[in-house]
Amino acid sequence: MASKFGLAGGIPERRVRPIWDAIDSRQFKTALKITTTLLSKHPHSPYALALKALILERMGKSDEALSVCLNAKELLCRDESLLMDDLTLSTLQIVFQRLDHLDLATSCYEHACGKFPNNLELMMGLFNCYVREYSFVKQQQVLCGNGGEKLLLLAEGLLKKHVASHSLHEPEALIVYFSILEQQEKYSDALEILTGKLGSLLMIEVDKLRIQGKLLARAGDYATAANVYQKILELCADDWEAFLHYLGCLFEDDSCWSNETINAPIHPPKFVECKLTHLTDEVFDSRISNASAFVQKLRAEASNDSLRNPYLAHLEIERRKFLFGKNNDDDLIEALLQYYSRFGHLACFTSDVEAFLQVVSPEKKMEFLDKLMKNSNSLSAVPTKALGQSITLLKTQELIGNMFRLSVGELEGSAVQMAELYRKNLPLSKELDPQESMHGEELLSIVCNVLVQLFWRTRNLGYFVEAIMVLEFGLTIRRYVWQYKILLLHLYSHFGALSLAYERYKSLDVKNILMETVSHHMLPQMLASPLWADLSNLIKDYLKFMDDHFRESADLTFLAYRHRNYSKVIEFVQFKERLQHSNQYLVARVESPILQLKQSADNIEEEESILESLKCGIDFVELSNEIGSKSLTFNEDFQSRPWWTPTKEKNYLLGPFEGISYYPKENLTKEREANVRGIVERKSLLPRMIYLSIQSASVLQKDSSEINGSLADPKISSELKTLLERYAKMLGFSLNDAVDVVVGVSHGLKSYEAFGSDIIDWLNFAVFFNAWNLNSHEFGQHGGECTPGSWHLVNSLLESYILGKVRSMEPLIQSPQGDLPILVQLVTEPLAWHGLVIQSCVRSCLPSGKKKKKSGSMDQSLSLLTHAIRDAIQSLCGILEEVAKWSQDQINSPEDNKIDILVSPLRRNGQDEGPGQVFHIFETLVSSPNETELGNRISQALRDWSPVDVARKIVSGQCTVLSEFWRICESKIKSLKTLKQQIAQV
Amino acid sequence: MTTIRRFCCNDLLRFASVNLDHLTETFNMSFYMTYLARWPDYFHVAEGPGKRIMGYIMGKVEGQGEYWHGHVTAVTVAPEYRRQQLAKKLMKLLEDISDKIDKAFFVDLFVRASNTPAIKMYEKLGYVIYRRVLRYYSGEEDGLDMRKALSRDVEKKSIIPLKRPVTPDELEYD
Repeated sequence: MASKFGLAGGIPERRVRPIWDAIDSRQFKTALKITTTLLSKHPHSPYALALKALILERMGKSDEALSVCLNAKELLCRDESLLMDDLTLSTLQIVFQRLDHLDLATSCYEHACGKFPNNLELMMGLFNCYVREYSFVKQQQVLCGNGGEKLLLLAEGLLKKHVASHSLHEPEALIVYFSILEQQEKYSDALEILTGKLGSLLMIEVDKLRIQGKLLARAGDYATAANVYQKILELCADDWEAFLHYLGCLFEDDSCWSNETINAPIHPPKFVECKLTHLTDEVFDSRISNASAFVQKLRAEASNDSLRNPYLAHLEIERRKFLFGKNNDDDLIEALLQYYSRFGHLACFTSDVEAFLQVVSPEKKMEFLDKLMKNSNSLSAVPTKALGQSITLLKTQELIGNMFRLSVGELEGSAVQMAELYRKNLPLSKELDPQESMHGEELLSIVCNVLVQLFWRTRNLGYFVEAIMVLEFGLTIRRYVWQYKILLLHLYSHFGALSLAYERYKSLDVKNILMETVSHHMLPQMLASPLWADLSNLIKDYLKFMDDHFRESADLTFLAYRHRNYSKVIEFVQFKERLQHSNQYLVARVESPILQLKQSADNIEEEESILESLKCGIDFVELSNEIGSKSLTFNEDFQSRPWWTPTKEKNYLLGPFEGISYYPKENLTKEREANVRGIVERKSLLPRMIYLSIQSASVLQKDSSEINGSLADPKISSELKTLLERYAKMLGFSLNDAVDVVVGVSHGLKSYEAFGSDIIDWLNFAVFFNAWNLNSHEFGQHGGECTPGSWHLVNSLLESYILGKVRSMEPLIQSPQGDLPILVQLVTEPLAWHGLVIQSCVRSCLPSGKKKKKSGSMDQSLSLLTHAIRDAIQSLCGILEEVAKWSQDQINSPEDNKIDILVSPLRRNGQDEGPGQVFHIFETLVSSPNETELGNRISQALRDWSPVDVARKIVSGQCTVLSEFWRICESKIKSLKTLKQQIAQV
Repeated sequence: MTTIRRFCCNDLLRFASVNLDHLTETFNMSFYMTYLARWPDYFHVAEGPGKRIMGYIMGKVEGQGEYWHGHVTAVTVAPEYRRQQLAKKLMKLLEDISDKIDKAFFVDLFVRASNTPAIKMYEKLGYVIYRRVLRYYSGEEDGLDMRKALSRDVEKKSIIPLKRPVTPDELEYD
């Protein structure tokens, strides 16, 4: 819009274009060179200056950029005669925005609009400012009340005026115009424009029809809309969405046009919502027969019979009939069987029919399965098709949950059958390029699923190891199968071989936007692990990606704007908001400082400097306050998660065996949302509570000595108390009651079960309570100033809980998961925070600087305190030494024994029950590969297969984790020993 | 069963199962968004039931004079939707837009010289190897520049193969 007269900001566009091209391709030096030349000709052009500022900023020269920008702004505001166009202003705005001077940016536009109140371009620019992010606060202010509607009206008025004087030349502008009208429900106005002269701006006929159909439907003219959708389907017979809209129109059902909101789920439920109850019998009958006839026609006209749409359309019609009560589900089942006979060999069969199967009863699903099974005798003569059909049968069993109804014996049989099928069909892939997916690859994923279920049922570790072996075997033959890698990373995580899991994760090459959608596979386990360096990288990379995007998003929005793709402008802003509200982003932002605090907890000075960089945790307290009212988005893609852990909060293997009802993957957002809010609310209090605890423990000595005469800051004590109250409340108690609970548990009057699954939070609470109690007289009965009561409380809680765990834990190699993650958390969180309180106390007891040790009578409270500290140090040391020994023992136990534990249960040749049967099939295959049948590549891969190597990797993966944990314990022990020496001198 | 529509930002959050494939590159955000911002008509996604992403194509239109051409930057199909001619459909769409809306002379694309299955597929779709670009991929592997002439290039001049390979810095566009 800036180039109406071939001028951009008063400069011929041909001179400016090379600058933008250079900027767009990030050649900033070139851009700066051209701009300098330009400025020599137009030294007082605000636009040229704005360009220079933009380039300087992008080169990282913020100060220079700001001064050039201010110069341009001053010129703009001072010189009345200067051209003040939108391009100049938006360029300035983007620089100001990037320099964090939102105020200056906004004032530029306000000034311009004040100066030229009737300038359409400027008003449009201002409107765009509201729509995009530049003045988000204002946008919100405007949107409070009925501002949004007014704004739409303003926009409409402006566009109308613009059309009247200049018409429109951009299809994108037209699309925005439609969207503005649509949001005001002015459908007939929009339709009039669409069918008028302007409509010809939309060059792709189908696009035009889609808009027309939608507008008609939203206006309630369903009959005409249905005709439009028919036309679309005649042009693109394979358009599924158009078909659903077509049905929606026939049945006068507006549910598919409801507006999307920003936190609408990114993966909508597969089930297609539809309303039918408002129709009479006759109406339904006549409409459905129209639809059937039309679908028949589409099918007949279809040029190739690989088009799935007409056949799926038939299924959808049968589904609606069933939902309306016209048919029983037999017809739907019949239609599904027909679909199978045509498309059963396709890998997408099960995902195609999933939504249809959802509406029929479990008995019918079984009946469907039975009928399919009968079909399995008449598989296609083409081997690849026959294999596809067989795999579909298995996937359908998984889909309807049948695998959970089989007995252990049947499951084993099924796994063996699948492994055989895989083996037999390997020759089909003989000629394939190693990069191409192999035939039957999915079989091994299903075998793994079955074996993991067998492990869940029987707790026989053999099945679990066999599941790992199956996938590793698959990767030996073709190393690119990401589905195997994801399953493996979860199995390894569950087995405590987290470093191995992380290796598999890295091989998935999860980067850029995939970090938002895929890192849920790895991040949660890492948060409770001792692999701090890896975790730190994971979080850092993710936060960097998100923050980089937030920074560059304004530029990209502007790019869309300059290329007149206005619909993308709006889309970019909404997308940025969606990412900013990402629940995972929020969690990562909270976990990142907590990790730093964990890493430095053995050194109070380092810890304090981290706290200082976190503004002593104040911002996080703020976050905790706000989280309840923040809207959150859930962008994780859970489709690829294994059945046993459908979300990151759920892991069936941790509990006893229970049947799983139909795919519980959906509609968990509500539950997850509450959970995330809870976590963030609690965790974001930690930095502040740690800070206050350190303070509380260190002012204590100054309080009773004359070192600098100042009294303890009463604010610290009262703030810590407030936070303790909040923390207690989150655990479901008042402060007094929560204290009673921890006292009760520590005295053995209550069991640890009182803490439920919040053990870490309870122990944190006890630690912070002790820190607060050092400075408060309120809980005299439990301790009071400098008396050891609350010290003892924390010591005994940590001691009995942690040692109880360690003493009851089986060796890692024999028990997947177990309590290692909780043990790591106990040591690196509550115990570490308690260690900080101790460090702070010791420091304040020590004579500061070169002052001589205090001579004379040591006052009684100090002596009590030093005694308590000594006890606490002793207690923590005792705990850590035992934990370290436990880790060391496992690391040191002979590797060969451990490998044997893993492999020998699988090598029981000739057994026809228990684990090892699938393994045996592969071992047989490997022992004598038929090179002519399998080809050179696969044969070579088979020769490379070594189960012992896999076992060795598991063992060393576990050892890596244990070693890291041991190292953490040792470092804490060392630090405590130093404290012990120091306190001995007091 | 396939709705082909413009790619939008939210699709970036849906395409994990397509992009986890080792041959599909996940670019940085500014790359995707620059394409969306500048050539939204050249970035399309195919969607199956349940709004599952089946595959997508991204491209652009650029060049001067008779080098004005459509370019395929990436085209990819999820494993479960392969062997259904989806890539062909997506390519056809980009060719149509280059041909009819932007009146380009040809469409081109780059492919790893070792990626035989892809080269075969493009040949089936009417593309010819125009020239070899030495060490185009990360300075290691050669790339093949494949082209297909559009209706505006009546004499099909744009696709007459070059006799010698070129180096990446000889390329007019990247």
